[in-house]
Amino acid sequence: MKHLNLLYIAIRNGARHKLRNIVVILCIVAVVTPFISAIAILEGVKAQSRVSVSEGADIYLTMDMFGRNGIIPIQIADEIKKIDGVIRVAPRIIGRIYISGKLSTVLGITGDEKPSSVNFIRGSLPKDGEVVIGRKLADYLKLDVGKELSLGVRIAAIIDHDPFIMRKMYRVSGVFDSQSGIWASNLVMMNIDEAASMFEMEDFATDIAVYVRPGYEVSVSESLQKMNSFFRIQTKGLVKTYVEKGFNAKGGIFAMLYMLAFALAIPAILVTSGFGLSERRKEIGVLKATGWHTHEVLEMIFFESIMLALISAPCAFIISFAWVKVLNAPFIAQLFISGIQSMAPFQVPAVFMPLPFVLSFFFALVLTMVGSIYSTWRAAIVPPAEALK
Amino acid sequence: MKNTEHRTQNTDFIRCEGVWKIYNEGKPYEVKALSDVSLTIDRGSFVIFNGPSGSGKTTIISILGTMDRPSRGKAFLSGNDITRLSDVALSELRKKSIGFVFQNFNLISGLSAWENVSISLVPQGINEKERRQRAEALLGKLGLLKRAGHSPEELSGGEQQRVAIARALINNPEILILDEPTSNIDLDAVHTLIETLKTLKAEGRTIIVSTHDNILFSSADKVFELKRGQLSL
Repeated sequence: MKHLNLLYIAIRNGARHKLRNIVVILCIVAVVTPFISAIAILEGVKAQSRVSVSEGADIYLTMDMFGRNGIIPIQIADEIKKIDGVIRVAPRIIGRIYISGKLSTVLGITGDEKPSSVNFIRGSLPKDGEVVIGRKLADYLKLDVGKELSLGVRIAAIIDHDPFIMRKMYRVSGVFDSQSGIWASNLVMMNIDEAASMFEMEDFATDIAVYVRPGYEVSVSESLQKMNSFFRIQTKGLVKTYVEKGFNAKGGIFAMLYMLAFALAIPAILVTSGFGLSERRKEIGVLKATGWHTHEVLEMIFFESIMLALISAPCAFIISFAWVKVLNAPFIAQLFISGIQSMAPFQVPAVFMPLPFVLSFFFALVLTMVGSIYSTWRAAIVPPAEALK
Repeated sequence: MKNTEHRTQNTDFIRCEGVWKIYNEGKPYEVKALSDVSLTIDRGSFVIFNGPSGSGKTTIISILGTMDRPSRGKAFLSGNDITRLSDVALSELRKKSIGFVFQNFNLISGLSAWENVSISLVPQGINEKERRQRAEALLGKLGLLKRAGHSPEELSGGEQQRVAIARALINNPEILILDEPTSNIDLDAVHTLIETLKTLKAEGRTIIVSTHDNILFSSADKVFELKRGQLSL
């Protein structure tokens, strides 16, 4: 009953000090919301990356060009097909071009080698002179199946220091959607020969995707390395590691920046929770004068902190959800997804998990406790006459 | 109180021995609020500390009421040295034995009169219904039952004082201490206060008052005169 009484008084205090509590809640929300949003986006992007990697090839092959990935002859694909355990070999050309001022990715594929994460929504795979484009890009360019798209294919000449770009008209044969909004939103797929012509790399691919039977990844990798010591072999496991490392690094940098913000928030909360501190100090003096023990005063303040954290954390969660899911994470998505501006041109992937919510509650609790417990304790241990001055 | 030898003793119920209170001791702006004060107060008596402003009245009653600690000297309650008690023991003493009415009442704003009165019952685990009943019973005795639901801001000075007295009495303490009780109330309220204090004294309580208003003197058993922190009986 004693603890319930203290909780009751804490709730009454919450209602009595409305302005102070609103300011404290706003401060906590301002600190915790970016944390929840960042974790949600990071987890969402990670999940999409895992889908892309797991549904992609088992081995990606390029040439080693001074330690970097270099283009690889397409004809080598026929040799690779002969290696025991290889199911499928798909040379690809990946490059970037600007379409109506929008940076887009071109993917040149052979025959019916459609990426597994791509879901066709209408149309068919590209043949010569045709392209398939992502739904977001189609919306942006107001294109649909059967319409024509002009793309700059190569620099034909330099006239007065300005490149004269030769253009070619392509027919849109299909519009696709993808499980991975990030990768598919600005993607243009075309026949590999068309892509080779566009990037002036006839008979070469930027990489060769090799699909192998389960358990053959290592042996095929060894055979490839024996075939040519200049091959640069990246297995699915390695790609997964790179992806995880990349996200962990981004997450680590964010966590560091967040901890810095958190550290700066503590004095801010101290200042804001200090609103009416003299009034609070007097109240503590009155409580002590009427026979309250120091630990009872502290327990009441602890309940007040829990109450503030319980209000702040869901507020932060709701605002974060609206920021990411409704507003599409402006100004924060760019920290985790490269190549986008303050507003992402696609639905930013986000996964809201319970852990960040629980953590945000504890962050809020720590902030309010830091802001109140020490000052309360200081006021409670002095003689009431001093606290009441 | 461990020392039961003095518990039932009526004389020397409260005793001070060479009590000093020095603010900012050792600094250029040092203030001697009390200088070597020694006195005794009998159980059930009504004593007044009289003196001009700054004479140390509030300081001495704060020390006797365990609201403050002396810089030097000892103060005894029922034979126990209250200057050496721990924070926990002092809280227990305030809860069980001492009711203190501050000069400016120090009611908690935003809480109703009955909530202010019963605030010390909260950590005692008494439920809201009983807290309210006990608070309203006391407010009723002091003629404030109808104002039980009002916040301090809605009460007059005299009403606020009676709420503060009710708060001081809620735990049925042996000792009631009032700091300048006539300074913030009108004459009618002063007469009501005098009657209240007489009733409380008749109940056997020890009443200690600091005042420079001689209207209360006729009711007192003993008046201590304080001048510049020193007793001049």
